[in-house]
Amino acid sequence: MEEVPDEQLMLAYRDGDAGAFETLYVRHRARLFRFLLRSIRQRAAAEELYQEVWMRVIEARGRYAPQARFTTWLYTIAHRLLVDQWRRGALSVVPLDLVEVEGSSPDPARHAEARQTLHKFALALEALPQAQCEAFLLHEEAGLTAVEIAAATGCGEEAAKSRLRYAMAKLKAAVDDG
Amino acid sequence: MAESERDPNVSRRYRELGAEEPPRALDEAVLAASRRAAELHPAPLVPPTGRRRWYFPLAAAAVIVLSVALTWHMQHEERPDPDGVSLSEATQDRQAAPAAAAPAAKPAAEPRTMQRAMREEARTETPEKQLERIAELRQAGRHEEADRLLAEFRKRNPDYRISEEMLGKIERK
Repeated sequence: MEEVPDEQLMLAYRDGDAGAFETLYVRHRARLFRFLLRSIRQRAAAEELYQEVWMRVIEARGRYAPQARFTTWLYTIAHRLLVDQWRRGALSVVPLDLVEVEGSSPDPARHAEARQTLHKFALALEALPQAQCEAFLLHEEAGLTAVEIAAATGCGEEAAKSRLRYAMAKLKAAVDDG
Repeated sequence: MAESERDPNVSRRYRELGAEEPPRALDEAVLAASRRAAELHPAPLVPPTGRRRWYFPLAAAAVIVLSVALTWHMQHEERPDPDGVSLSEATQDRQAAPAAAAPAAKPAAEPRTMQRAMREEARTETPEKQLERIAELRQAGRHEEADRLLAEFRKRNPDYRISEEMLGKIERK
């Protein structure tokens, strides 16, 4: 069965269908949460922001008109709240020791190597300038194109492309090094 | 981003970092808020949480302040207008005029706001237009009002020379 588009679900919710919101929420919850968590790297703040983003969506339902993809709209709200958070200077980096690295290898030596590789990648991600990191996360987690990233973050299309390209180049280098 | 710039290795490594999800309690809080909001359809308000808790007390305070200001303003509006007809004058006019009011009693019976509007209008009119208005009042027998406007006119336009013909129309005979 074909999936109901996000925009249609949001319109249904606007018209009072609570079930439509639930479907929409399940679709986006994990990706939005990871986007926020990896953008501010502070779990408590990420959880608070996450709730705030959804509250804004609920509040704005009466004004919702599908002029762009729902995802772009959702991450535009998230971006604005993140900017507020950054302006308040609430950004703090999670120490690398706390980054949970999953390993599937039963061999301890190989597991340690995989852990090391992932640490390198995590370091490279953390080292990205804020705008590049956000562009990468919007692309990777939300699946936004450069045009949509530009719309969500309020920058020009060329700037979005450039941020994404730089971020990719640095992360690719980290992967190749690993 | 162009598809050619996609790097599956970067994506795979990124995915390996973990698949964190929001806590169950947060899911429940959001969904509960969404259901409450849907019940209120199409009202735009949802119960405040987190940093938005101040919305409701602030809105309530704003309503109270507005109500007090409005009440004060209405009471203030009902006071006798210091620039208008005095209270004794108005009472006098009312006593002199029976219920089926004669034209001369009409101005005092008019609402204060109308009198004020007329004076404001007179202030923005040209001198000629003001004189015509006074002449009309005089002709209608509304002498007190005509006298008042004429006095105001002379005060505001001390150098204006009124023609003999107009004087005949605006002065009390």
